[in-house]
Amino acid sequence: MADEGVANHYQVLEELGRGSFGVVYKAIEINTGETVAIKHIDLESSDDDIQEIQQEISVLSTCASNYVTQYKASFLRGHKLWIVMEYLGGGSCLDLLKPGIFPEVHIAIICRELLLGLEYLHAEGKIHRDIKAANILLSESGKVKLADFGVAAQLTHMKSQRNTFVGTPFWMAPEVIQQAGYDFKADIWSLGITAIELALGEPPHASTHPMKVLFQIPKNPPPRLEGKFSKEFKDFVAQCLVKDADHRPTAKELLKHRFIRSAGKVEALQELIYRKQVFDAKADRVKLPVYYQETLNTISPKDEADEWVFDTVKSVAPKPRGTVRSRKPSGVHGIEDAMHKLDVKDGPLQPTTPGTVRRSTVRRQPSATQRKSSISQTQRHVSNGNGSPRPVSSKRPLQPDMSFGNSGSTMRLFRRVPSDTSTNPSNFGSSPDTSFTYDENRPPTASYQLPVEPHSKEAFLGRRLYNKALEPCLDELHAQTAGPAKREALARLSDALAHLDAVDPEGTYHFLRSIVSTVQQDSKLSNAFLPREERTPHHSKTPSDGTPQGTVLINNKRVSAHVQQAQAQAQALQQAAAINSPAKLIMAQDNPHLASHRRRRESTATTASNVTTTDNGLGIMEGRSPEKTSRSGSAEREREREREKERDRERMALEAKFPGRPAAPGMEHCKELSDLLYARWTDGLRARWGALAGA
Amino acid sequence: MSFFFGRTRARTNTLDLPRQAREHVTKLEGPQGGPKAEELAKVLTQIKFTLTGTPEQEATPETTHQLVTGLIEEDLLYLLAINLYRLPFESRKDTQVIFSYVFRFRPPTGPQKPEPLALAWVVEKRPQVLVELCRAYDHKESATPAGTVLREVLKHETAAAIILYDDGDLPGSSARQGVAGIDQERKQSGNGVFWSFFDWIDKSSFEVAADAFTTFRELLTKHKEIIPKYLAVNFDLFFERYNSVLVQSHSYVTKRQSIKLLGEILLDRSNYNVMTAYVDRGEHLKICMNLLRDDRKMVQYEGFHVFKVFVANPHKSVPVQKILLMNREKLLHFLSHFLEDRTDDEQFIDEREFLIKQIRNMPAQPVQPHR
Repeated sequence: MADEGVANHYQVLEELGRGSFGVVYKAIEINTGETVAIKHIDLESSDDDIQEIQQEISVLSTCASNYVTQYKASFLRGHKLWIVMEYLGGGSCLDLLKPGIFPEVHIAIICRELLLGLEYLHAEGKIHRDIKAANILLSESGKVKLADFGVAAQLTHMKSQRNTFVGTPFWMAPEVIQQAGYDFKADIWSLGITAIELALGEPPHASTHPMKVLFQIPKNPPPRLEGKFSKEFKDFVAQCLVKDADHRPTAKELLKHRFIRSAGKVEALQELIYRKQVFDAKADRVKLPVYYQETLNTISPKDEADEWVFDTVKSVAPKPRGTVRSRKPSGVHGIEDAMHKLDVKDGPLQPTTPGTVRRSTVRRQPSATQRKSSISQTQRHVSNGNGSPRPVSSKRPLQPDMSFGNSGSTMRLFRRVPSDTSTNPSNFGSSPDTSFTYDENRPPTASYQLPVEPHSKEAFLGRRLYNKALEPCLDELHAQTAGPAKREALARLSDALAHLDAVDPEGTYHFLRSIVSTVQQDSKLSNAFLPREERTPHHSKTPSDGTPQGTVLINNKRVSAHVQQAQAQAQALQQAAAINSPAKLIMAQDNPHLASHRRRRESTATTASNVTTTDNGLGIMEGRSPEKTSRSGSAEREREREREKERDRERMALEAKFPGRPAAPGMEHCKELSDLLYARWTDGLRARWGALAGA
Repeated sequence: MSFFFGRTRARTNTLDLPRQAREHVTKLEGPQGGPKAEELAKVLTQIKFTLTGTPEQEATPETTHQLVTGLIEEDLLYLLAINLYRLPFESRKDTQVIFSYVFRFRPPTGPQKPEPLALAWVVEKRPQVLVELCRAYDHKESATPAGTVLREVLKHETAAAIILYDDGDLPGSSARQGVAGIDQERKQSGNGVFWSFFDWIDKSSFEVAADAFTTFRELLTKHKEIIPKYLAVNFDLFFERYNSVLVQSHSYVTKRQSIKLLGEILLDRSNYNVMTAYVDRGEHLKICMNLLRDDRKMVQYEGFHVFKVFVANPHKSVPVQKILLMNREKLLHFLSHFLEDRTDDEQFIDEREFLIKQIRNMPAQPVQPHR
């Protein structure tokens, strides 16, 4: 299938909604400038046959009607299937119901348009099988169109029947539930239920459990529209809801019904759209759009040494010299995996790295914490919804989707997991207006890639290596270098390393690891770079720091000695740089790391300035700053004060990890979560040690 | 009297439709293509409604019979098949309906053949109709309607045989004398219409490729008599193409679906001999083991269902044993962590355990299989 490049014909914009099938984005077809909707289906996350999706496409692609959402194209992009559809800006009827129920005149118009759509479909031998407010879309001008053909059936012969049990329980016709063979008339029943939904805000039995509803619909007399509605409307609903399908009228016949004949023009429906916009504005619901982000490859690094051996001759793969070849991260699961594991229902409290939790909660459950109160309401709006995706997990057994609650979900034989977009925020689309309130769904507006969250030991070490050793070293070296060409070369190296650190901190780690081990193997190099006296027991603990300066000695045997040594080294370098350098490392103004770089420098600089050297607390600096060392020889009092400061710093470092503190910039969303987690933890403690607490 | 008159008019009209359609369809390519297409569209809609009936007027077996005979006489089935992609959108759908009804129609009286009337004629006298319906996969426009017709028709073994054994003018090809001319023993040249499916599946756009694959699967799984024979005779050609074009395809969907289909073919009881021949080959095992290492989970998963056949085979060939033994430790380690998150798939877990046991218990040196 040679259509990989077709995706480039579209500029994908913000997310429109998501459901059991995947995510729908707004997009622009670049050649025509036309706005379209693109549904992304992640084929890799569904076990069920791809043929099911093909079925939907083949039904859609053979429809050409003003009452059906127009199919445009479909193509593969990696393991994602993109289905390009007509864009309908008015939203679904379910969305439009949020401000309140529809007036009868509007329902009449919608019903007429739906009947016209059904008349077309049924003449084509197609059954929609999932008519409901959520699947009815409006264009901005008020045109009404049928959407979501995920469970539609194509009959090859006009008189054939179906037995498959699909649809959404509340809207299902009795004959579909009884699986006694049904035809086009099933859609008419669903239309009647939809009319009630539009008039009352929800389908009959909405408060009942959907499984129970499946028993009630065939058993009970058909629902009736009660209340202050016209006789015509009530009669129309009653006609649709005739239990015996043979006596239920066809779409064509219903078009002659008085309720329908007296219906007005579709333009009147613009009121509904306008009403929704006003409602959104009032409720401050203007959500910032979630922009499409290209998923990075989920490919886990290949382990070359682990390849199968098929050739008898070179049955043993030549092992690389003791250096680290395999790049497998020690954290077994990639972010994608972790995201699959996460499920809102299964508990966001699973032990994962903070970075992962943040991402997945953001993507999967954008509004859970803020809108807990309205959850029962939002829960309903799944398939065309407001961004409250149904929690789904790929590791459940294939089973009828029972997670609908009272939702508007569609019962399919299998569930499809919404595709995971974004492992890494990238700049896409225009940056939204910053005057809006911060929305955690929003990808960073900055024009650069945020540093990758390290999630393995190697990555942490690599990040640390960069922050503590590589960057300060380069800084200093740059400061000491004179020639502009040489300086530029160094600046480039610095940029390159900064980029590496942002993209792949693990790479930094492995880079230095292999340099060190290669140097060790060459006797001349190791003599030159790794002098004997350096291999003190202290230093050998931290080979990964790899800084060439051997000026720091640790006298203290604390557990955190390792950490402090590195800090001390960095500080030493900072100071040295500050003292010796006439000029600072020049970075391009648009360098993405400039800001964070400054931040880091500031923090280290401040700590460095109030920590002068001591001989037992931190370390000695030899020959670097003579005036300071001379001062260190002065008084016991001075030393005491230093120790005090040192303790203070430690306490602060510890306190920084406590909950309830202002979050670091860019991590505000984590704070909420960590506070929540902390609260639960304390609750747990209280429950367990209640007696002690009381006493 | 008026009743009588109405009937006569209906009849002449019905009889005339195929002739009109033929006139228009042959001129589609000429300068009058546009207007002719419109006229043809009208005629085709009329034919359709005559066959399907309308709510006002039910279709009668007599008129249908006349119409089907007329369509055969005018060779309209062939003409429509080759021109399908030129027809307007609605006419393509009408044509699909016409084909479905025509190929299903059995006259209520007279001698009955295993196939419906028109289909019997096609498989005996005019196999090109089916071949041209397949070639509709050359065009995006005609792929779906032709595919729908094909899959219905392929329920009949003879129709499947026509497509499988089409081989141009070579002796034993279905193109010469229809079903009667088929020589099942002769190896296919690889140029017949069946072999074009590989390209349609691999090279077409998603919609076409997906439809072509569905038809391809139907061809290979439906008929338990002719397929094992066909695969046995054309074993090398078939699996060489299958593995190189489909299993190694760059398209995710093609790759995943064809691995799955391979597993289905091998595990079909009627294909037992094909299966044993397949799992004897070391190179087949290599392809399969590499699938287990694919970076997409579902490809790994489908690959597993082929791999298990190699390992579960009690009479493993020496090359297969060698490969497995060479990688024994790696395989044991790999399989113990293979698709670990499939915790709910009990059958998979059982099978994985079984394979681990089988590989662990293999004798250290390859043993000559005896069966």
